[in-house]
Amino acid sequence: MTLQQPALPATALARPARRRDRGRLFQEIGMLAPAVALLTIFLIVPFLLSFWTAMTNQPLVPRPTPVRFIGLTNFLRIFKDDLFWTSLWNVSRFTFWILPVQCGLAFATALLLHQKLPLRNFFRGLFFLPAITSMVVVCVIWGTLFQYPTGPLNQIIGFLSGGRIQPIDWLGDPNWAMFSIVLLSAWQAYGFQMIVYLAGLQGIPDELYDAARIDGANAFQRFWHVTMPGLRPTHVFVLVITTIQAFKLYTQVAILTQGGPKSSTETVVHYMVRAGFEEQKLGYASAVSVILFVIVLIIALVQRQLLRRFDV
Amino acid sequence: MSDLVISTFETEAKRERSAIGSLRIVQTACIFVIALVIVSPLFMLVIASLKDDRFQILADMGSFRAFWVSNPTLSNFAEVGNLSGELAFGRYLLNSLIILATTVGAGLIINSMAGFVLAWGSLRGRALILSLVIALYVIPQESIIMPLVIMVSRAGITDTFTVQIVPWVASPLYIFLFYQFFAQLPKELFEAAEMDGASVFRIYRSIFLPLSLPALATVSILMGIESWNQYLWPILVTQTDYARPISVAIATFFGQDSIYWDRAMAASVLMMIPILALYLVFQRWFVSSFVGSAVKG
Repeated sequence: MTLQQPALPATALARPARRRDRGRLFQEIGMLAPAVALLTIFLIVPFLLSFWTAMTNQPLVPRPTPVRFIGLTNFLRIFKDDLFWTSLWNVSRFTFWILPVQCGLAFATALLLHQKLPLRNFFRGLFFLPAITSMVVVCVIWGTLFQYPTGPLNQIIGFLSGGRIQPIDWLGDPNWAMFSIVLLSAWQAYGFQMIVYLAGLQGIPDELYDAARIDGANAFQRFWHVTMPGLRPTHVFVLVITTIQAFKLYTQVAILTQGGPKSSTETVVHYMVRAGFEEQKLGYASAVSVILFVIVLIIALVQRQLLRRFDV
Repeated sequence: MSDLVISTFETEAKRERSAIGSLRIVQTACIFVIALVIVSPLFMLVIASLKDDRFQILADMGSFRAFWVSNPTLSNFAEVGNLSGELAFGRYLLNSLIILATTVGAGLIINSMAGFVLAWGSLRGRALILSLVIALYVIPQESIIMPLVIMVSRAGITDTFTVQIVPWVASPLYIFLFYQFFAQLPKELFEAAEMDGASVFRIYRSIFLPLSLPALATVSILMGIESWNQYLWPILVTQTDYARPISVAIATFFGQDSIYWDRAMAASVLMMIPILALYLVFQRWFVSSFVGSAVKG
């Protein structure tokens, strides 16, 4: 049988091959189709729609009057709305605090766990626990911790300071509310960053440390001249992801403070959801979502530029 | 001369070693302090869930008894387990589990198939689709949610399981994770199977998929956490208890007067368990593959 095959005419050989190719093509399209279809319907279409909706007076509940195209009116209105600028300022403040608190803690913990300490795998798992805990549960926990004036947090601070520090109204004081949101957010999400940092540390070859040691570099010099440059892409990644996440701040605020007190925790997404579902102005809310997208896009582009500069 | 160099090097090394010894103690102490900060809120939650008296929970919050329970009981969990009634947390948990299992199950299949074709397929537009998928990753869920709500309400599928599952099954991130994983497997694997006359689907199904356990684990965990913890989307698209997930149920409860603290605490503890189990099962593969692709990608 096998011997006979080469004797077959070339055309006979080519045909099944081509048929197999076409079959392969159909299979590939079939395997790709579900993902492409879903992404188109639930990501690309709503994304394009958001630009269109942003330029209309689309209400949440259909009205007898037709939806009108109103150009950039929504955007102009947003920029004139003080609450929008407050929300933008608030997420900037949130970012300003969350970056050092969360990334700093994650970096420090990763440095510690990178040492050959006892039980380090156990700690690694332990520190990741909050990261898999739902934000809603985190809010239940911290909502009770933050209670004023006799919540556990105030008790502990009072105990440690010997009663010198007065109880803080964590979520009710406009000066403290955003910082309280920072604390619980950092606590919740830092496990992810820690793991990313640990991987970054593992990616630095041991030979570099050995070489530095032979050159007489002390621990601090080794950290500054080997560890830090080696972690550059990791730093960029962690800082950018944290910044993007920070600008999308919503759940904590929606559950714990509803943007208050005195709009001190109002955020862009919370402002958007309120505009869309409390004031029923979907067009207006879509315009906010477009602005949010532009912000995220700018941050992502900055990341790409930074990474390119660092030659990654 | 060289002796001297060696001996100073040795004392240097010795000094460094003893310094490392005391440094290690400081480091271990730091780790324990961090562990205390990380764990005690969770610990407090578990303790509170074991207290029967809801007024006692509130009273205990003001003291270190928040971290201590004298006569633990599981009665709160028993009440949560009730599938009907006013605070049917059991029902909501079940809803969340259905949504989680379906989303992750469908997501693994659909995203891995797409990732596989993008890595090994012979389609002409492959590179274009791949770069489009990567570009789509920049769009945050929050900024498409407004039009998406209009779409699903026009389609009349609000307040269903479908509306909470289908939109989030396909995801640029997970397609890319699978693509990256498949692409780094050796070419010979594909060629040998193709030579034997196996179809593309067959090669994917019986050779590449079984090898992709790390990627499957990573995507399972990430998708699982994401689906389980969804909050904004379900509050926008669920109006009744029919398909409402546990996250929304706990949050709605949280806004009301805090008379049911005990059950809310128990429900919160229960809410942690499934995702913790998922994490513990897949953790081994998760870290390496997630992080590798995250930083580079």
